Amino acid sequence: MKLHKRGGTRAHSGVRLVAVAATLTLVASGCVKHGGSTAQSAKFPKSVTLVVPFAAGGGTDIWARLIATSLHPLLPGNPTVQVQNLPGGEGIPGNNRFAQQDPPDGTRILVGTGSSYIPSLLGQKGVQYDFKKMTPLISNGTGSVVYVTKASGIKTVDDLFAPNANLRYGGISATGSDLGALISFDLLKLPVKATFGFEGRGPVALALQRGELTIDHQTTAVYNQSVKPLTDKGDAIPLMTYGVLDPASGKIVRDPNFPDLPTVPEVYEKHFGSAPNGPAYDAYLTFGVALYAFEKTLWAKAGTPQSITQPYLDAVAGLAKDAKFQQSRTEALGSYPLVKGSEIAKLTQQVFNISPSVRSYVTDLLKDKYNTSVQ
Amino acid sequence: MGAALSALSTFAHLSTLLFLLLGVACGLLIGLLPGLGGTAAVALLLPFVFSLDLPVEHGLPLLVGAVASVHHSDVISGILLGIPGSAAAAATVLDGHEMAKQGKAAHALSLAFLCSMAGGVLGAIGLTFTIPIARPLVLTFGSPEIFMLSVLGVSLTALVSNGAVLKGIVAAALGMLFGMVGSAPAVATYRFTFGSIFLNPGLGLGSVALGIFGIAEVSYLVASRRSVGGGVALQGRWLDGARDFVRHWKLVLRGALVGIWAGILPGVGATAGAFMAYGQTVATAKDKSKFGKGDPRGLIGPESAGNACESGDLVPTLLFGVPGAAPAALLMGALLYYSIEPGPRLITDHLDSTYSIVWSMALGSVIASLLCFPLAGPLAKLTSIPLHRLAPALIVIMMVGAFQATNSYGEMLVVFFFGVFGALMRRADFPRAPLLIGFVLSKPLERYYFLTENLYTPRQWMLRPYVLVMFAILLAPIVIALVRIVRRRRKSDAPAGPRQPATSDAGAGSAHAGGSGGSPVGTGGAAPAGTGGAREAAVALAEAAPESAVSTEPHPARADRYWSLGVTILAAAIIVMAFVMSLGYDADARLAPRLVSVVGIGAVAILLTIEIRKVRAARRSATAVSAGSERRWIRSIIVAFAWVAVVPVLTLLLGFAITAVVFAVAFLWRVSRMKAYTIAIYAVATVGLLYLLTTYANFVLPDGYFFLGSPWTGQ
Repeated sequence: MKLHKRGGTRAHSGVRLVAVAATLTLVASGCVKHGGSTAQSAKFPKSVTLVVPFAAGGGTDIWARLIATSLHPLLPGNPTVQVQNLPGGEGIPGNNRFAQQDPPDGTRILVGTGSSYIPSLLGQKGVQYDFKKMTPLISNGTGSVVYVTKASGIKTVDDLFAPNANLRYGGISATGSDLGALISFDLLKLPVKATFGFEGRGPVALALQRGELTIDHQTTAVYNQSVKPLTDKGDAIPLMTYGVLDPASGKIVRDPNFPDLPTVPEVYEKHFGSAPNGPAYDAYLTFGVALYAFEKTLWAKAGTPQSITQPYLDAVAGLAKDAKFQQSRTEALGSYPLVKGSEIAKLTQQVFNISPSVRSYVTDLLKDKYNTSVQ
Repeated sequence: MGAALSALSTFAHLSTLLFLLLGVACGLLIGLLPGLGGTAAVALLLPFVFSLDLPVEHGLPLLVGAVASVHHSDVISGILLGIPGSAAAAATVLDGHEMAKQGKAAHALSLAFLCSMAGGVLGAIGLTFTIPIARPLVLTFGSPEIFMLSVLGVSLTALVSNGAVLKGIVAAALGMLFGMVGSAPAVATYRFTFGSIFLNPGLGLGSVALGIFGIAEVSYLVASRRSVGGGVALQGRWLDGARDFVRHWKLVLRGALVGIWAGILPGVGATAGAFMAYGQTVATAKDKSKFGKGDPRGLIGPESAGNACESGDLVPTLLFGVPGAAPAALLMGALLYYSIEPGPRLITDHLDSTYSIVWSMALGSVIASLLCFPLAGPLAKLTSIPLHRLAPALIVIMMVGAFQATNSYGEMLVVFFFGVFGALMRRADFPRAPLLIGFVLSKPLERYYFLTENLYTPRQWMLRPYVLVMFAILLAPIVIALVRIVRRRRKSDAPAGPRQPATSDAGAGSAHAGGSGGSPVGTGGAAPAGTGGAREAAVALAEAAPESAVSTEPHPARADRYWSLGVTILAAAIIVMAFVMSLGYDADARLAPRLVSVVGIGAVAILLTIEIRKVRAARRSATAVSAGSERRWIRSIIVAFAWVAVVPVLTLLLGFAITAVVFAVAFLWRVSRMKAYTIAIYAVATVGLLYLLTTYANFVLPDGYFFLGSPWTGQ
């Protein structure tokens, strides 16, 4: 600072220098960054951080906070389990950071969600993480319901195919979590007019109630909270679900939360007279069904010792007995089973080995119908 | 009403009150740190609620108490230091900080606390009465109405420009363009990101506000080696605040109503709400001359709105299950934990919990005010401490606060860049509030324009009643502003020839000088008081006696003119660049940036001709004397920014915690020239604060190449 009058004698500044040096040494001592070589000790860590690559307060964050509390007493040595948010960049930077920098020692566990899976499935720019190189630990599926409002004039699922059906859909971004809906509409060849640019599913729900939109899909939990009360009054009409994968047969069966609603393939078969197939159907299986089967999942990095991953699988039984957790997570996601990662590992490998034909079908759909290129 | 009263009776239990108090205390502490607000407070407390398994009558007051009190303390740094604790507090800074500069910090603080309290209480009352009727009300407000409201918000530019309307428009255009960085709302196109993933979601509001007000202010004051009060004797007591509060109760009420409404609507948010409250205060005031120069009325609107907005946010959260803002979203998480499903059934199934939230909001605000009130006087003394002593801690806290938003290193660079930009704007008498307004409203404006256009025909939406009302409100200030400009032009055009603008400035070292006070054309006529003052104080400091300053610098206005021209050219360059870049985007991504940049180019072209004319006029009237003091000032502001830059640069190597210590020690040693033991205490306190934040508040510090961000967490 040029403007300042020089004050203090030389001796004085010498003392100061010593003090400064002493402080710095104190601070620096013992805090040298540990190098990349983390000891591959198989001891369960004392503290576990669940990495949420999104802002605090979102669905994934809330689920992570719920499970963090309940995992604490079930893991060996009762480690502290805390949630860390790494928001920004639509989750990509947070996921990248986990994949590239975090050690495979169980101290950091990634909370995965559909919004993280889709960019990697589409091969979006900037994605440097690969779920094929991660191990699922605990997984919580969810489902989705397609419904229309009274303003659409549609009363039954057959009315969807009427030539002058008034179908207006609102979405956030064509390349995001709306993809399941867009592919379903394309599979069924519905003339849906889609408008993108909403801030979230919440504002979409408001726009539906205002009559600006007529057709929508919501996850089971949100549907139960916000839409179900409207169906009781006749303001909203549920039409179909995406269905869930039956692990035994590998077929799509009706959503256990909505046994009365047909699945999208059922609707297709009834209208077109044959079972759906082709790239549109394959894309539907990936983006409409499979992603929902492991919508919220805890992931460890590949190479994490089994002595660290196994306790998570074992904790699933304990979590099932935790009544408080069961109730809260049901409200957050709907009543879908909490499964061990080992049970869905094969499915996740299949999904993330996306076939080129499915990927090009989706890119073409976005380009041709929604004038959107995957960047 | 029965439910409301029975919910109130739970607060008669000492334990419930105790948890409310705990929440309030926590909210106050978090709000005190610039850059951290309600989200941080709730995120900090939520794990305790979960892990301690607090019963609902303890958990909700704890969380809501924190939300209710954050706004009380986040104005403290805004008023005292010009650093808004949150983006929403930036509107309070406009007049609040000016009051502090005039020695009226205690007055401003006590008024702000009372307004926050009133905002909270009125918000809670509003919440109570709106819950039964809010549903149809919210649903009549569709995309066209939100679009028009955003337009209305941008038009506030004219009111927060302190008379420099043209500069305000340019600043707003810049703000809107900065707001467009990242993914376009209507199509999946990334704009102005220069290929950086960090920029994909856009610039963070917190970092932009911290930079443009906070870092700019701190660097400015460090460069001039002044305290905020600049040696002005402290005057005004907390009682003055109470008096103003009572006298202007109508403004309090109106501010709170604006705040509630801004909170209820999606996409508007607290920052825009606070500025709208400010705008309506100015628009309806008879005597507008003192706004932006320390008018207590300018503080009332935004302060009352800020806390009321938090209550408003709860309406869509509770009624539709659609959280209006991040704190409300976290609160929703807590409700789910208590098996309370937000949404249409909440009122029928859980009315007691709803009212428990409402009452926590009201009582929390009152308690926060009671806690803050006695502090107004002692806190006001901070304005007489030379700022360079506080600067290291402030810079460290602002950087770490900004970093929390996304945990990206880029946040620190954004803070730094906007700090430099803000300082330039300040020096050139560009109002900074319009930039923030433009930034905040840019995305909603574009988003709801496309939604309106896609979902309605023009005739359908333009004839909607609320849209028509807002058209009318919109046109009124434009007409008034035009009349004002025309009138002033007419007045000042007559003596537009060579004139001696310096006569009134020459001997002035006081904050009232206003470098462009006597400039020939009206735009600079009402420069924010004190902007010239800081620089002149620097001059005075350098030149020992004011007289000598006068002899070497007879025409400070001339330097002012060069600054003004320079920043105008910079603004023009940015806007033209945005226009050129927007040519390459898809049709739906191109429309908004092109529209804004075309308007911006028009405004900046007019401004440029005016500025060039003023520079010529100043050159003719000025005698050729070396502007030595100006050069000295430039040197010291560059040195000040070099110091700020140390933090992000050194962090790359040493990680944040060690950088913070090295920086604080070096700064206090070289710049503040403090004694060794004070430096040591300061350094230990800095580490201690960072340790507490990382250990208990889940903060993350940026890692460096050699050391971790927080070495104590090393595995």
